[in-house]
Amino acid sequence: MNRLFNLPTLITIVAMIILLPIVQRPVVAAEVLTLGIAALALNLLLGYTGLLSFGHAMFFGIGAYCTGILAVKYDFSAFTAIPIAVVVTAVVSWLIGLVCVRRSGLYFIMITLAFNQMFYFIAYSWTSMTGGEDGLPGLRRPSLIADQWSFYIFTVIVFLITVVLMKRFVDSPTGRILQAIRDNPARAAATGYDVERYKLIAFVASGLFTGLAGAIFAFVFEIVPIDKIHLLFSGDILFMTLIGGSASFIGPLIGAAFYTWLQETVSLYWDRWPMVLGIVFALVVLFFRTGIVGMAEVFGQKVFGKRVVKTASAETTEAHR
Amino acid sequence: MSVALQCKGVSKHFDGVKAVSNVSFDVQQGALHTVIGPNGAGKTTLFNCITSEYAPTSGEVLFEGNRISGRRPHELPGFGVSRSFQRTSIFANLTVAQNVWLSAFRQFAGNKIEIVRSADSHPEVAETITRTLEEVGLARYADAPAIELAHGDQRLLDFAIALAPKPRLLLLDEPTAGLSRSDTQRVMHLIEGLKGRYTIVLIEHKMDVVMRISDRITVMYFGEVLAEGTTDEIRANPRVREAYLGRRA
Amino acid sequence: MGILIASQILNGLATGMLYALVGVGLTLVLGMLNIPNFAHGVLYAFGAYFTYTIVQLTGSFYLAVLVGPLFVVLIGFVLESQGIRRLYSAHHDYQLLFLFAVALILQEAIILIWGPVGFSVLPPKALSGIVDLGFVIYPAYRLALIVVTTLITIALWLFLTRTSIGAIVRAGMENREMIAVLGTDINRVFMWTFGLGAYLAGLAGALASPIIGLTPSMGGDMLPISFVIVVIAGLGSILGAIASGVLIGIAQSLTSIWWPEASNAVIYVLMGLMIVLRPQGLFGTR
Repeated sequence: MNRLFNLPTLITIVAMIILLPIVQRPVVAAEVLTLGIAALALNLLLGYTGLLSFGHAMFFGIGAYCTGILAVKYDFSAFTAIPIAVVVTAVVSWLIGLVCVRRSGLYFIMITLAFNQMFYFIAYSWTSMTGGEDGLPGLRRPSLIADQWSFYIFTVIVFLITVVLMKRFVDSPTGRILQAIRDNPARAAATGYDVERYKLIAFVASGLFTGLAGAIFAFVFEIVPIDKIHLLFSGDILFMTLIGGSASFIGPLIGAAFYTWLQETVSLYWDRWPMVLGIVFALVVLFFRTGIVGMAEVFGQKVFGKRVVKTASAETTEAHR
Repeated sequence: MSVALQCKGVSKHFDGVKAVSNVSFDVQQGALHTVIGPNGAGKTTLFNCITSEYAPTSGEVLFEGNRISGRRPHELPGFGVSRSFQRTSIFANLTVAQNVWLSAFRQFAGNKIEIVRSADSHPEVAETITRTLEEVGLARYADAPAIELAHGDQRLLDFAIALAPKPRLLLLDEPTAGLSRSDTQRVMHLIEGLKGRYTIVLIEHKMDVVMRISDRITVMYFGEVLAEGTTDEIRANPRVREAYLGRRA
Repeated sequence: MGILIASQILNGLATGMLYALVGVGLTLVLGMLNIPNFAHGVLYAFGAYFTYTIVQLTGSFYLAVLVGPLFVVLIGFVLESQGIRRLYSAHHDYQLLFLFAVALILQEAIILIWGPVGFSVLPPKALSGIVDLGFVIYPAYRLALIVVTTLITIALWLFLTRTSIGAIVRAGMENREMIAVLGTDINRVFMWTFGLGAYLAGLAGALASPIIGLTPSMGGDMLPISFVIVVIAGLGSILGAIASGVLIGIAQSLTSIWWPEASNAVIYVLMGLMIVLRPQGLFGTR
């Protein structure tokens, strides 16, 4: 029977979960896991389907704001607000997807960015609901998971469930069809698959999980800041996915950890963190496109020798750009 | 023997350019019908009308009585139609077996969307993949990344994807284009082996290849049908000789 | 009310013509290089900031508008020749992401050089008054802006349709391989087209500086608008970009009469409607 995760992936996940709250404060560790979910979700679209979305902050933000509004304005418990927020995000991503997926890659990128900006403006001006520029404070974690460590464990549980669902999705027939669409959309269509329909499925799956990430995030710092729905944050999520490695399943999680570490470190010494991000981003795009996982693989091959053709087909959900 | 494919008065115009004008022919079930003509004769445009990549400006194409033209390309496999591509068109980042899985699974699952079970959890599909790979001679490369295959083997993989769903109509677009002599032989050998079991329409411009294996030939010239008949009839046709065969035949 | 509407339409025309310049610049690069230039917004911002500095140094607004955009062109040349060119063999997405990263860097550079606080630029003395148009009284600078941008657009149109260089640019937008075959150095065409796009963005920024406040994020704010212009116009259509720019400029100003908070978001609704009702855009060819 095929294992769900190969060994390196399993080790990475376990190591992350154990080391993060040791190296960082538990609340930051929880933040990394939520950002990890968002980056993994983006990669469903980018690495697996070959679609570059520049608007994922809108799904993160919708998930976060929905949760925040339900919890703060309408007194919903976290355990009800979060699922509702995920459903809302799924519906929104379906509607936006309907508009986006029928157009070519160029349009797709521009339209996702444009809609992202639209939602940013909604969040900015609907101050009675969203708090506008100042964000939406006042969320309170349920008492069961109120302290740092129990909240971290809650986040770990959500993370693990999410990761298992996502991996099953990419290993499923739909997941493989999406990869085929990435590699050769014309042939995928000629083989009998309605490419637009599948792109829409990928878009909704991606948006849904990103919304979940946002919904959990709202409780990490118990505030929904407006910058998390701004298109610059879409760029941040892309950065995480790329620098981790979009060609592997778990790369984006590594990218989320790296991004958080880099941001914390740089912000200690210099205000202009976005410039450092921009420079590192540019360097990754120019010279390190395969990301950390890609570089680790090359290093591993140099040390352990090039692998012979893989024999277990379950292992080969790895994709290469 | 019944008529399987009917091309009825297919025309395709692009902004005033008549790429294909009023092309008609019938293909019997199990026959191998070749469309030939020099470059620019409209063969590829005609082919694209049959595969629904283009919608004909007028006319239609029927297979087993069902209209297959003027649809969206992904609907054709549902009618038992499969095609290969002129420039090898495979899924570079998947393995050979996974490439074939795509068409085999489509046949098996129809339009159902599955997101939970593993892609490799259907034994019937696995069996189809193995059988198809053995038929084209690529079984030993099943788990190799498709991109690592030699050029000629990639072409065979292209066919394997088309063959796996056991289509009733096979549409092959210049199957030997860009291949070496030995690879051309391998491909033609494979196609000959398919005769009778599949209805095949072939686009080609290598004359010697065509003459050996075709049951009937349609010769196109500047978008129109110049002649149609058996290989002997075509060989003897003076207009064809004049326009195309020249000194050769 | 009539006066309000009239002056808002004129306002919309003024911003719309600026949008048109930005939109045409983006369309040129999009058509030629096949990527949406994510740095287009920040180039617009640099046009405004260079104008501010030149006015500070020389006191002449006219000089600033003439010279400022040329510095933006320089930035464009460097970006194309040193940056994107290295990525032509890689997947499109990477060129685009590179430009996004550059936009981030350049926006921070603005903060480093000019500081995080916003500025304003005063219009030149001769144009700082108001003009009585009969049906409405209107600021002179904005009127001049409408006239000047219209003239520039006409000049641009003539350049692209009547000169041989313009023909090469338009041909390159249709079919890149073709111009290489015709013997032109494709790298130079790319660089100059990118430079022209940068020039238009910078010029728009320069001309806009007296009527909008300069802030480091002004580029980031312009970028989504430029995308909306191009999507509504239809990819590859220069005429469409002009029409689309004016359309959304006026839509914004009119909306601000009745529902000010929505004036920013309305253009995205228009974009959404266009995609659904007429996917190829106003004059789209692809």
